[in-house]
Amino acid sequence: MLLWFLALPLPALASVDKTLGVSPALLSKYSAPKSGSWKCLDGSKEIPWDFVNDDSCDCPDGSDEPGTSACPNSTFYCQNAGHIGATIPSSRVNDGLCEPECCDGSDERPGVCRNACKEIGEEYRKKRDAERKIQKTGAKIRSSYIAFAHKEKKRLEALVESSAAEIAVREKEVARLRVIAERTESLSAAALEHKQQSRERPLYTSLMSHASALKALQREHKKHLEREQQLGDILDTLRKGYNPNYQDMAVLEAVRGWEYLAGLPHIGVEEDAQKAADLSVSDEEAGIAETGDEKKDDEVAETDEEEWTAEDLKTGLDELLNTDYVSLLMAHDEHVKTPPPSTLFNLRGYLPDSLVPQYEEMRETLLSWLGVFGIAGTDVEKSSDSSKARTALSDAESALNKVISDKKNAEEDLGEIFDVQGFGAEGEWKKLDGQCLQLDSGDYIYEVCLFDEARQKPGPGKGGQTFSLGKFSSWNPSPDVKPGEPAYYEKQVYDRGTRCWNGPERSVILVLKCGTENAIHTVAELEKCEYQFTGTSPALCLPLDAKDSVREEL
Amino acid sequence: MQPWATLVGVITLLLAAPDVLAVKSHDFKTCSQAGFCRRGRALSARAAEAGGKWKSPYSIDSSSISISPNNAVFTASVKSSIYPEIHFGLELRVHEDGVVRVRMDEINGLRKRYDEAASWALIAEPKISQDISWTTGKKDIRAKYGNNEVVVAFEPLTVSLLRGGKPQVVLNGRGLLHMEHLRSKKIEETKTEEAAPQAEEGVEDQAVADQAVLKTEEVNPAAWFEGDTEDDWWEERFSSWTDSKPKGPESLSIDISFPSHGTIYGIPQHATKLALPTTAGDSPFFTDPYRLYNADVFEYLASSPMSLYGSIPILHAHSTDSTVGIFHAVGSETWIDVSHASEKSTETHWISESGILDLFLMPGPTPADVFAQYSTLTGTPVLPPHWSLGYHQCRWNYVSSDDVRTVQRRFDEEDMPVDVFWLDIEYADEHKYFMWDDKNFPDPVEMTNDVAANARKMVVIVDPHLKRTSNYPAYQEASDRKLLVMPASGEGEFEGWCWSGSSSWIDFFNPNAWDWWKSLFKTTQLKSGWSWTLSTTDIHIWNDMNEPSVFNGPEISMPRDNVHHGGWEHRDIHNINGMLFSNLTSRAVQERTDPPQRPFVLTRSFFAGSQRFGAMWTGDNLGTWEHMAVGISMVLSNGIAGMSFAGSDVGGFFGNPEPDMLVRWYQVGIFNPFFRAHAHIDTKRREPFLLEQPYKGIIKDILRLRYTMLPIWYTAFRETSVTGVPVLRPHYVMFPKDPKGFALDDQYFIGNSGLLVKPITSKGTIETTVYLPEDEVYYDYFSHHVYRGATKGKDITVKAELDQVPVFVRGGSIVPTRERPRRSSPLMKLDPFTLRVSLSKAGSARGDLYLDDGVTYSHEKGQFVWREFTAQTAKKTVRITTRDLGVEKKDAAVDGVALVSYNPSNVFAETIKEVRVEKIVVEGLSGKPSSVKAEGGEELIWEFAAGVAANGKGEGVASVLTIKDPRVLIVKEWAVIIQL
Repeated sequence: MLLWFLALPLPALASVDKTLGVSPALLSKYSAPKSGSWKCLDGSKEIPWDFVNDDSCDCPDGSDEPGTSACPNSTFYCQNAGHIGATIPSSRVNDGLCEPECCDGSDERPGVCRNACKEIGEEYRKKRDAERKIQKTGAKIRSSYIAFAHKEKKRLEALVESSAAEIAVREKEVARLRVIAERTESLSAAALEHKQQSRERPLYTSLMSHASALKALQREHKKHLEREQQLGDILDTLRKGYNPNYQDMAVLEAVRGWEYLAGLPHIGVEEDAQKAADLSVSDEEAGIAETGDEKKDDEVAETDEEEWTAEDLKTGLDELLNTDYVSLLMAHDEHVKTPPPSTLFNLRGYLPDSLVPQYEEMRETLLSWLGVFGIAGTDVEKSSDSSKARTALSDAESALNKVISDKKNAEEDLGEIFDVQGFGAEGEWKKLDGQCLQLDSGDYIYEVCLFDEARQKPGPGKGGQTFSLGKFSSWNPSPDVKPGEPAYYEKQVYDRGTRCWNGPERSVILVLKCGTENAIHTVAELEKCEYQFTGTSPALCLPLDAKDSVREEL
Repeated sequence: MQPWATLVGVITLLLAAPDVLAVKSHDFKTCSQAGFCRRGRALSARAAEAGGKWKSPYSIDSSSISISPNNAVFTASVKSSIYPEIHFGLELRVHEDGVVRVRMDEINGLRKRYDEAASWALIAEPKISQDISWTTGKKDIRAKYGNNEVVVAFEPLTVSLLRGGKPQVVLNGRGLLHMEHLRSKKIEETKTEEAAPQAEEGVEDQAVADQAVLKTEEVNPAAWFEGDTEDDWWEERFSSWTDSKPKGPESLSIDISFPSHGTIYGIPQHATKLALPTTAGDSPFFTDPYRLYNADVFEYLASSPMSLYGSIPILHAHSTDSTVGIFHAVGSETWIDVSHASEKSTETHWISESGILDLFLMPGPTPADVFAQYSTLTGTPVLPPHWSLGYHQCRWNYVSSDDVRTVQRRFDEEDMPVDVFWLDIEYADEHKYFMWDDKNFPDPVEMTNDVAANARKMVVIVDPHLKRTSNYPAYQEASDRKLLVMPASGEGEFEGWCWSGSSSWIDFFNPNAWDWWKSLFKTTQLKSGWSWTLSTTDIHIWNDMNEPSVFNGPEISMPRDNVHHGGWEHRDIHNINGMLFSNLTSRAVQERTDPPQRPFVLTRSFFAGSQRFGAMWTGDNLGTWEHMAVGISMVLSNGIAGMSFAGSDVGGFFGNPEPDMLVRWYQVGIFNPFFRAHAHIDTKRREPFLLEQPYKGIIKDILRLRYTMLPIWYTAFRETSVTGVPVLRPHYVMFPKDPKGFALDDQYFIGNSGLLVKPITSKGTIETTVYLPEDEVYYDYFSHHVYRGATKGKDITVKAELDQVPVFVRGGSIVPTRERPRRSSPLMKLDPFTLRVSLSKAGSARGDLYLDDGVTYSHEKGQFVWREFTAQTAKKTVRITTRDLGVEKKDAAVDGVALVSYNPSNVFAETIKEVRVEKIVVEGLSGKPSSVKAEGGEELIWEFAAGVAANGKGEGVASVLTIKDPRVLIVKEWAVIIQL
């Protein structure tokens, strides 16, 4: 439909070589056609051969102008003799800038850029050699990581094996003890029946409800303490960080209120006081200290001697809750010469399954600890036969569970070691599991414990608190990167850290490249509470030959 | 809660705005919370109540009239019947261009009133007309000049500007003129409460009540006019602040009516429509007057008469047969009520806190005339450095020099053009501007050089608050030299809070501050003191917070009783303050080099005259569709008030715009004169390269579109810099006689290029209506589709999918573009042009192109290229040719310079002598050409796609002739002949 009207040959243009900017792979397509008519590379159009590289765009795909900037979005190939050839966007052709990518200057009008390929090439090779050296050293370290992973694998396999054997033994033991316990209990079942019907029942029931009430209180108390701590942290940050911006009375009141409650001086006052303190101890500071002390005294005075102190609550409550009520009751019964009761009661029954192993572990520790101090020992000895049997059973069960869980963990670890989404296909990251890297920025120390958590700690000599910047969540999450590719391991994401008081939960992107050390080099908060760490690790240093062959092809 | 806060709360509820509006309205005064505004509105209410009985107490003593020898100026003394002992002086002068200046001041008053506002705003003392003669009659004094006449009536005093006998502007027609004279505070007399019970007793008896009123009048003869209470005369409280008001009441009220004009524009900056909605009269759109009091309003409302960051007291009154303007040179807080007595008339009431009456009446009669008249007074917008018309990438904050480098690298990897990277306040150690935070910016000069290596620039923020610490040279030197604003006591340094904590502010009203401030920006070591050696001349400056913003001050600004140089209170000069800061910064940047180079300084606060120095933006907008839309009318409004180099932050400062909103915002941005993306520190990063496809690709195309159009923008800026006609032209400016266009503020023209744009500012839009104001063809910029307007105007419906922004070329235009994408605009310097010839119905077209080196002032010495391109159809021949406007209009080429000679082969022209036209596209031809030749040359290579002809009837895709590489040069004469 469209016709080109070509009357006479064109006046000679500051003529450009038809193959200027053509990459070696396409050179064959840029030779004078016999017909004089040339087809755009996408086949969409036929144009006179003269139109190629005439600095006027004719082909929709831009293929007629490999050597000029006439077509947007096309590319220019610089041969860069003495260095490595490169492809640059057509937007950089004839723009007057001499970019190092096109060191031969072929993309510019003659005389604009000198050929700098010699220096640039040399510099490039020097840099590449240095990088290679690092990579070589790094790769050695990396291979030691891989060796570690294999050793670790063997260790874990052995552990799984030995655990399996132990489990078999312990299962038998548990079965044996269960028979004994059940037999003992059936003997005392009658006694229990009696007990439950008797006048002792209210005491038992009451004890049970006290126990569960205490348990609930302990849980709530802990929750509140944590909440208070968090609120305190938030308010501390607000107090230190707020800007008297816009005279926001609500913020000011919150800050003042917190200062009053926590016995802190007003933030401005404190600064003034500090200034004054350079010369002498200011009254205000002295006042502050006094206020603090008074408050403590008050707290002490308020406490009844009979009542538990906050410290008692913290340390003693668990102990109290671990009381073997059954044993106590039995002991009590023995004392008042009533038939010894028995019970099926077991604190374990009150716990969700997931907590049982922990509970068992704790109970064990506690009991042995109590035993050491001779507190619980007599009680245990005094306890009834059925209780003793039950204890022996549950001890055996918890020992079994521990071995099972060890085995399970070992199996999981085994699965992860050579998982591409875990410690890498070669297990090169296993060695670094939990290793902590730090960077001291002056105000803060940034730390990342690999595969665990990133943190911001106050710098040396600086006050303040430690914030979690997030827990390890994944490798490079970009949809453009496939697990297992080198780029996949160049990024780690740590997220769900402590929430910023007026922002998101803190998070870290850890960007790593090959280096001989495991280290963080820079930390930047690119968005509020979203950090970028950059660093190096030998785990990223692939053996040279593999990478080299790729390089030489360029 | 404070009572007023409760009140505000109640009002907010009453307005029942469904959205949670974040603006802290209670931080800012309403008219009723400002003593003088309350008094001014009360005066207006008393006048309205009195109706026809109301008579202004001000009159001229005709015996006092004195006419200057050259006849253009007269003075007279003015008396007020309520204060016979007080004297006022009136002066009227008519300028060469017909502008009438009306000045009234108190004579021999208790104190001098502030009368220097005009001296900061005016570019020079205006020339007085040589052919005016005043005729003094019994009732008035009048002067006729041309079709205009100015009439000053003696009693009551009114000033009227007439054209063809028809009143255009009337001052004091409603009798609201009141200059509260300076007075001494009376010792409070203990008033007996007897009057009150008396009045109560007489409630049912009207006669007694009247008696009581009469009695009061006897006590205070001014009460009928001024009211009978000393309402906030001597002290004023707002929130927790007390304004000591040592001078007492000194406000100024004046009514300005436009009996023949039904639409008014101007008095920026407010977030509202271009055609100003009413604030008074029957069911006003806003309940408060428009306020001019430069303020840092956090998360401002998208529709409100509230004050914003800058103030320009200029108004256009417009009708189908005339446009007039008024400019009130007042620097104190000013409130303006707007109402319409009829559809065809407008009344305004101006209430200022202090100062003199200094009004300029601009007679028009066309919008272009008013722009010229206003430009003669306050100057034209400056021709900016060319690169500053490119894309500006900003964020609070790029956190380190490596961050800046990475952002630059990412732009280049995506091949997206950008010219400027910006650094907000966090670059500065403890917000001590100039002082790099060397942890994150250890290598500022190298960083700037890395940016400059790609022909780009950096803009770095410098705010006017100086951290009060002795290790900060800027503060220490200012303190040593006593250049800081003083507190109410008039001694020492005012201390307030801003980003830098405890801070003080430079007093730019003190001339000693000027050279010192300039010296800070020198990039070389100075003997005289500190200078910014860790910078380069590739760094330009952003002035923010210059309202001034004071976090702990009343209305987030300075106490009004602070004292400036010359003993003036802050209240007297508040609205001018921000302008001086950015003006001086602009000079400082200009004078870093010898010869000087064009500075780029962005300011948030501005006043009349700021256009001479740089760019402004609409401040801290929100990432909402409403803000995107109002941003356009704000930029238009700023433009007609002189500030053409304006833009709103792309993306919205606050919030995280969805990708579709961001796309639309970029479409708005590329059609703003100043095009910058910016984001708050709490937002997610949103640089265009971070987006997913298709958004990333769409924005890349949008950015590139802006760059192809840079020749259009720069050419438009040249014209604006000479004529003052804004770069963005609303319909009433282009088609003043078409009433259907008066209220249009969502579509506009770019310079005289013929481009009409209507950016989309609503979610999910797929089509929109565009108004075509004339019987002419308009071509879709992208599809070449022809639309036909009508003599009485016509709405057309066009597609507007997310990747489409409605842009049209008015038939009769030749649009020059540069179509080759580059990384930054200076790299386009030698690129060829594409000419798009969009034929009118009559088969003609024209357009111009202006080029210079873009950075120096060599254009003032004639080093530029200014061409006109025309197309004419005669018989069966279309002739496209070019003329050298530099030769033909050398005296009108450059602002402020009448060149004696112009050399077409000047130094600049030589640098682009090989730049050619690589393509000519002609749309709307009536048929396929038989030949296309360069005049006197060979047949050219061309292709023709048949389609609709401009002179035909149908709509649809236009016929398009594409001439490949006509081998003609921009700086040379040539013609292309199309034979049909």
